[in-house]
Amino acid sequence: MSSLHGTFEAARIALAALRANTARGVLTTLGIIIGILAVVTTMTAANGLSNSFKESASVIGADVLFVSRTPWIVMGRFFQFRNRPNLTLKEAEKLERQLHSAIAVNPSSETQRPVKFGNETRDNIRIIGTTHKQMLVSSAVPEQGRFFNAYDVQAKRRVCVIGKTIHEQLFEGLDPINKNLKVGRYDFQVIGVMEKQGSAGTFGGPDFDSQVFVPVTTFVKLFGGFNRNFDFAVKAPAGASLEDYEFEVIGEMRKIRRLHPNQEDDFAINKMESLLDAFNNVMRVVLLVGLAITGISLFVGGVGVMNIMFVSVTERTKEIGIRKAIGAKRRAILTQFLLESSVICLAGGAIGIALSFAAAEAIDRLLMPASVSLPIVGVALGVSVLVGIVAGFIPAWRASRLNPIDALRYE
Amino acid sequence: MALELRDVNKTYEMNHVGVHALRGVSFLLAENEYVAIMGPSGSGKSTLMNIIGCLDVPSSGQYLIDGQDVSTFGEDRLAEVRNSKIGFVFQTFNLLPRADIFHNVELPLIYRGLRPARRRELAMAAIESVGLADRIKHKPNELSGGQRQRVAIARALVNDPSIILADEPTGNLDTATGAEIMAIFDELQAKGNSILLVTHEEDVARHAHRVIRLRDGLVESDAVRREAA
Repeated sequence: MSSLHGTFEAARIALAALRANTARGVLTTLGIIIGILAVVTTMTAANGLSNSFKESASVIGADVLFVSRTPWIVMGRFFQFRNRPNLTLKEAEKLERQLHSAIAVNPSSETQRPVKFGNETRDNIRIIGTTHKQMLVSSAVPEQGRFFNAYDVQAKRRVCVIGKTIHEQLFEGLDPINKNLKVGRYDFQVIGVMEKQGSAGTFGGPDFDSQVFVPVTTFVKLFGGFNRNFDFAVKAPAGASLEDYEFEVIGEMRKIRRLHPNQEDDFAINKMESLLDAFNNVMRVVLLVGLAITGISLFVGGVGVMNIMFVSVTERTKEIGIRKAIGAKRRAILTQFLLESSVICLAGGAIGIALSFAAAEAIDRLLMPASVSLPIVGVALGVSVLVGIVAGFIPAWRASRLNPIDALRYE
Repeated sequence: MALELRDVNKTYEMNHVGVHALRGVSFLLAENEYVAIMGPSGSGKSTLMNIIGCLDVPSSGQYLIDGQDVSTFGEDRLAEVRNSKIGFVFQTFNLLPRADIFHNVELPLIYRGLRPARRRELAMAAIESVGLADRIKHKPNELSGGQRQRVAIARALVNDPSIILADEPTGNLDTATGAEIMAIFDELQAKGNSILLVTHEEDVARHAHRVIRLRDGLVESDAVRREAA
């Protein structure tokens, strides 16, 4: 018997058997539906989380090093950084002078202030003091108006560039350019709106679309500059290896800080890569835990299918006897029942996937960008069939091993 | 020669006690023969039928079909032999209840691995030969007992077997219908098929040309019937 041909016939037989017992098939399938729905939704959510994080992180250039007081990712030894001195604007200037090759050294700092336009107020908005070099160290650009230039910074002008969310929420469709935005107690003239950058808010990180950029000089003057800590974004020259360049930056910073060779760095170097590494590590754990938990529901669904297959084999003992009497080999019987359980699981998987599209839609609306990707659908279908084969194997094996005489006599 | 049994023994182990169901049965069955096997219950009739039908193998002795010794075959090779050389007709019809008539008759061809077009051709021919061409879409429970047994005969014929093995084929039918079914067997034999009936009814056995009687696992008598000779 050509096996493809035999498989086709067996599939037909399996479908006929399922049609004959629809209600039971649907109930059995339910376990698989829920299992696949859970697995696909977990994977989709993890994917969405990962994508939206990477999208946000991509704003930070891959060729940019950040000199900060503390590392971005700190695992439980926060106290040891407590006594580090702040990074100051003066140090930023020194660093820029000493790092001849750097394309830009951009100091920035942030605080929180309420912002107000007309009668609309938003509290606790991130106010970022930065320079015109922001445009060199970040890939985000204004979609409307302009970013501030060297003159705005030098003259300590009260101009600001607002994030997309601020624009949408406060100005409600009005053109914000040249309007006055109250930041804290001060009036700023809006000169630009940043393009949408995506939110890292899902991870408790900053919402890049809900912030206001002001010239760092104005920032220091109005919101206080003494005792304020800055971050220096250092854009490496084209062609330089970021790792090598990191040593150079560390060296210059140590000179500025006049550190003895036996003293540890009292500053930290951050970069996107380390952020991504840390994120990926966390995501891996989240995904594994998620899959382990949702996998249990799939396992339970599989046990349900196995159970039903045992019932099905017992009920159809006589049928198996007849089939064997007229020439069905063990393999044909095995295939028939394996296909039956696979079809049950595949149908459940397909329904589960269909439902997970709806779940992804809901996640997309409520939480973060998420969509069921083709590879996930492929994996889910594969897993469904695998569950069907694993769950169906022992019952099918038992069926194929039935003694034809006993099976024929079974009533 | 259609089939040959040489000193066939069958012993079952029951509660650790050996039960001798067959104790050295030998006979030949020529092509186009029409034989009835008779015997009281416990005579080894069912065991013999299972062995002849390749559902079971002898504990010792040989069983040859078309010159091939099948007594040492494993389960899958026996399935092949059943598929191609044996046509079963059972007392309880043993059709697949959920499948229609066509599919029931087609089934042995599927297990033989034929293509759909060829299957349709052969299955239709077999169904027509038992006069049920207008019923192919019906389920077995929509047919009368006699019609069901005709479907079973069509299924038995469809692979052109070496022997048709009928086990009490009229046991579940009324007298008139039983007679109709026996007429079909007579007709098949006249066309050249070999038929082996297993029965305890003299009326049925009377159709055969030769009667083998079993008792206690042995052939008690093996005689060509006088009317037939």
